[in-house]
Amino acid sequence: MFEKLAVIGCCLVGSTLAIAAPAAHADKPAAHASLNLDSTKKALESGDETRTLSALDQIELSGDRKAAPLVDALLNRGANSKILLRALGVAGALGQESSSAALAPYVKHRAPDVRRAAAQSLTRTKGPVAVQALRQALRAGDPALRGTAADGLGALGAKDAVPDLFVVLPKEVPEAAGAIGTLCSNEDCKKFVALLGKLPFDVMQSGFLPLLLRTNQEVPDTLKIQLIEELRRLATAKANELLSTALAAFPATGNPKVKAAMDAALHGHSVSGDEP
Amino acid sequence: MSRVLRLARAGACSLLAGCGAAGGNSGSSFATTWQNDNGQSIANVEQRLRALPLVANARVVVGVNETGLVAVTLDGKAHWTHAVPATSLPVIAGNLVVVAEADQIVALDANTGQKIWSIGNRGLGLRGAGNDGTSTALVLADSRKSLFLAISPTGATLGSARTDTPLGVPAARGGVAFVPWSNQYVSALDMNSGDETGRLLTREQVSRALNFGGHLYFGERGLVRLDQKVRFASTNQASHIGLPKLELPGKPGWIDSGYENSTSDADARTKIRIYAAPAETLTGGVTLGAGTFAASYFRVLFGLDAKNGALTWVRSMPADIVGGAAAAAGFVVCDSAGKVWSLDSAGNDSGSLDLGSKIRRCVTDTGAEPMAEAGAHNSLATQIGQALDQLEPDMAEAERYLVSELGKQSEPQVTKILIDLSSSPRISPELRSEARRLLAQRTNGSEYMLAALERHYDFVSGVLLPPPVGPLADALAASGEVRAAPLLAKHLNDPANSADDVAHAARALVKLASKDEYEDLRTFFALYRATADDEALVAAVVASAEALLRVGGEAGRTVIDRAAHDPLTQNDVRRALPDLLIKAQNLQTAPAAATTSGAPAAAAAAQNEPKASAR
Repeated sequence: MFEKLAVIGCCLVGSTLAIAAPAAHADKPAAHASLNLDSTKKALESGDETRTLSALDQIELSGDRKAAPLVDALLNRGANSKILLRALGVAGALGQESSSAALAPYVKHRAPDVRRAAAQSLTRTKGPVAVQALRQALRAGDPALRGTAADGLGALGAKDAVPDLFVVLPKEVPEAAGAIGTLCSNEDCKKFVALLGKLPFDVMQSGFLPLLLRTNQEVPDTLKIQLIEELRRLATAKANELLSTALAAFPATGNPKVKAAMDAALHGHSVSGDEP
Repeated sequence: MSRVLRLARAGACSLLAGCGAAGGNSGSSFATTWQNDNGQSIANVEQRLRALPLVANARVVVGVNETGLVAVTLDGKAHWTHAVPATSLPVIAGNLVVVAEADQIVALDANTGQKIWSIGNRGLGLRGAGNDGTSTALVLADSRKSLFLAISPTGATLGSARTDTPLGVPAARGGVAFVPWSNQYVSALDMNSGDETGRLLTREQVSRALNFGGHLYFGERGLVRLDQKVRFASTNQASHIGLPKLELPGKPGWIDSGYENSTSDADARTKIRIYAAPAETLTGGVTLGAGTFAASYFRVLFGLDAKNGALTWVRSMPADIVGGAAAAAGFVVCDSAGKVWSLDSAGNDSGSLDLGSKIRRCVTDTGAEPMAEAGAHNSLATQIGQALDQLEPDMAEAERYLVSELGKQSEPQVTKILIDLSSSPRISPELRSEARRLLAQRTNGSEYMLAALERHYDFVSGVLLPPPVGPLADALAASGEVRAAPLLAKHLNDPANSADDVAHAARALVKLASKDEYEDLRTFFALYRATADDEALVAAVVASAEALLRVGGEAGRTVIDRAAHDPLTQNDVRRALPDLLIKAQNLQTAPAAATTSGAPAAAAAAQNEPKASAR
């Protein structure tokens, strides 16, 4: 206990303020207090679990991205599971792309909680190394890891992973739908929409929402309107709820015809033109 | 016995139509008061028959189904059916097929199925029949009595004899019936009178007289041939043939006891049989046909060396084998689907026939002719691989035997088959474990091993079992195959591999790794030096440390040294590291010493290096 207090004292300037401050936002950690990097480094290299965890706490609280290399070095050296989980989380919170290389090997750790934590953090550190590691994770034997990887690939805009996402989508990786809806373009989007009715709606819907809200040219508006019509024809509460959500969140830059189609569909009107 | 026999004979004569007319049992058949004549009487019989032409049984396959018999001659020219349900297994006797049905014993023409004669069964079951080309020797029996009958070509009873002693399955030649009894005798009975004209005394179990290509043999576990040496049977010097000692799936039998009546029903033993036929060698001795015999285990047929029982070929048939026979060279077997397969002595197809319906059992005789040779064939290893591919998971005993035999083969292809087996979800864990054990001992097929190591678990591609990394690592390390090092290093950090496999990979890398594997080794060490939670993983981490020290230079030493002093390092790992550091230090100084003190130190250092190879 005394040791922990000492660490806090040595690592943190203005500790009272920092401790009282709210946790930093995951993607944009704000520096609430400046760290003494030297003493933090020493704490991380101490081999003492308590000191190491405490130092990691302070790094996260400070949101100081300069500390990212220290966390990377800790990951490169290795530590016990408790410290690793914390370090993986902190690396993710700092969100430095340079940390992806240190995080990537942990996606293949034998401990499920370690590899899942690594995959989650890679989604936040981003970059080609993160994408590559998550694509590998999609191939792993751990279902939860595959789900996390699919989510991450969607978040990271890994368009090259779409073919693999299509492979795992029907194999109990529902998260792949969201990623495909976010990443697909043209023919892949058509292929995805064509799965409506073949795969459970609960699996597909997480991909339809981002697909309907995308405004770039990769998703043709005609396909969106086709999807809207198919959702209307389903006439289920879940399909209607999806359309309502999409309508409410429809971006201002989106095609008004698509928005109008959603509105019409929600009022029970055909939007394909072949029904009154 | 003589008193019982006389009484029995009286009863038999009263039962048998034509018994008195045929001359009855005037001789002393089956007398237990008989004295060993040192083979004289049987030698006399043999001498009398020696010059007569051989009469082989008909070359025909007869299947038993629910409605009766279905048959096809082996030349495929004649099919016939006999639509009366059989109560015994049919017997091919000369040119007849003899079978029990209802209260009759019926003889059919083997080539046409036409009924030749039938006689009442006297309340007894059909035990066996033999035919000398003219007359038929029959033994009918139940658990209490046996009846020998000699039947003319028209169905008239010639000689007969009745006894309370169980009689075995008879054979016939030149008007003489040979009838085994009392486990050690074969009585030669005149078929016209029923009188015993000679007797063979053997020193091993005898319950059947058999006709192979016209030659007669007597026995059960082994066979004694009726030839000039038969007189020496009582001193074990007759022409004799037996099977080598065997350890086969299901412990198949060759010749069933001839003291029990056969039935038309099939059981597991029907499908687990040995098919072996004696044949004459060039020097006049006896061997098993073409040096091979076969054993069935449900749908698998094993070809075995006649001398030592070693597996020489294997076939997996489409359905369970329910009968068959060995020829002078080759085999005929039939399966439960009614298909008849002719195989040459190497197990290759030399023809097939169709009985036209499913069958419960079948009997066949190949006469004196060998099966046609079918030409080239696959290697035994390939055959075993194919058979294993086609076996159902419930054929574990056959699979075990085949895997064990596979391990004895030396060709590189075996390595590939063992790799496939080790990664196959179709086989039992026990068998997979055995395949892995054998794989670890392979000394060739390294190309297959390296190709296997390229593979990793891949959910997207559907590769759902990793390769057998542990056994591959052992085998490749033993052969000093440095090309395996990068592949093994990648497997260290693949969690789909078992901790035990990873430990073997790490141990192999102690020998095989170069500095190119440093990064993979370092990553593995970092990930698990403080998280290793089982014995195998601890062993893997320690081995990876040893490899790092060997290939990592100063950087590697720093990593290990630091871990050795880090309280977070797992205790067992931390305890092992100082010794490794000292060992590495000693090795490092050895070459330096060698430059000043000569060859021994250099040799010691070299001992720790893998053999030179083009990386």
